Amino acid sequence: MESVINDYISHKLVEKPEQLPLKNDMPLLESGILDSLSVLKLVLFLEERFGIVVAPDELIPENFETVEAICAYLRVQQQV
Amino acid sequence: MSMRGLVRSTIKLLPLYNTHSYRPGQLRLKASPQASEAFRGVGYLHKGTLRRLEMALYYLVIMPLAAFLPARLAYNLACRRADLLYLWDVPKRKRVLRCLEMVLGDQLSRGELERVARDHFRVRSCEVVDVMRLAGKGQALARLVEMRGLEHIEAALAAGKGAILCSAHFGSYDGCFSLLGIRGYPITVVGRWPSKSDGDRSSLECFLFRQTYQKPVAHHRHRPNIEPRPGQIGTAVQAANVLRQNELLSILLDPPVLPADRARAVQVNFLNGRALLLPGAVTLAQLTGAPVLMVFMRRSADWGHQILEISPPVSMDGDAETAFERCLAVVENAIRQNPAHWRYWNITPLVQLGLLPREAMEDLV
Repeated sequence: MESVINDYISHKLVEKPEQLPLKNDMPLLESGILDSLSVLKLVLFLEERFGIVVAPDELIPENFETVEAICAYLRVQQQV
Repeated sequence: MSMRGLVRSTIKLLPLYNTHSYRPGQLRLKASPQASEAFRGVGYLHKGTLRRLEMALYYLVIMPLAAFLPARLAYNLACRRADLLYLWDVPKRKRVLRCLEMVLGDQLSRGELERVARDHFRVRSCEVVDVMRLAGKGQALARLVEMRGLEHIEAALAAGKGAILCSAHFGSYDGCFSLLGIRGYPITVVGRWPSKSDGDRSSLECFLFRQTYQKPVAHHRHRPNIEPRPGQIGTAVQAANVLRQNELLSILLDPPVLPADRARAVQVNFLNGRALLLPGAVTLAQLTGAPVLMVFMRRSADWGHQILEISPPVSMDGDAETAFERCLAVVENAIRQNPAHWRYWNITPLVQLGLLPREAMEDLV
């Protein structure tokens, strides 16, 4: 799961080459890799790839801070 | 609170009516002390006590009473008030004329510039009547507005992906979206209301603004505004969710970019210059497949009646910047046809958009 998400963010959302390779604990919001529109792109990808629905109240920085945080969030969603 | 405090707060509130979607305090420019001094004296926020008193009377006393007179009378009154201001508020008149001259100067004669500047005062004054007439079911305003191009909204909703209605700070844009709500369309607006957290407003100021402007405008809309705030990551997803429900989402394309958003902004051709703007509406359309329709409401020659026009979908082919320039060309066309309707004929927003050099501020001295 980590590698799928890391690949997607690295290829589709990272705009500055110096931010690659992307580490799984790299802060995505602080570093500017994720903003409102790229979170939308990511959410559309996660919903399609993992068959989940991201509820509005789950759109909090804690769930999208790092690749690891996104995976933790996804695992909880998949268990529900 | 003492009566004196109440009056002071009421007077302080007034600039909010002119600046609720654009707040100079948020987007501070660095200028020489001389220019800053000039800015304070003749800036966007009017400091003169008499000017504020006039605005207090107009917004809080005269218009709430006069707006429901027969439309002809109400809008005539608004125009007469604007004509007096045009004569009386010399710094503002000079500023508007200067902006028009610097941006459109080579296309308009001196006489035309002066007419546009006077009409700009009238448009702003009539907006207040529009907002008042939105009270209740809003029919007092709705019956004065002819809607053209509703078939484009119908076609978009029939396709099931919602629609993005793009516009600009043009005419009574807030009233325009509310009128579509009155017509029965589920519409949500992306845009911030002033709040206490902006730092320069008291609770009373925000309360009065909510009661007299925000409430009549907002209660015809399907949901509360989606209000982008720095650090908020869910704005675009919220907007996409509106479109997923096959509803309408409206976005203004021309606000100056906040410092935090500069990295995402693009420079585009706009009004004889290169403006720095956010193409987020277009990116959203490309991601969701929702069509983009352009919407503008303009006043007729009698000032009371208006025409709300909805365009066919704008092509979203190409990259976001190219498609955004296409949308902006429609905005520019609307402004060129009715320049008095554009809200940003003022030094600060034009400098922040990149349409005037920073030295324009110095010229005010």
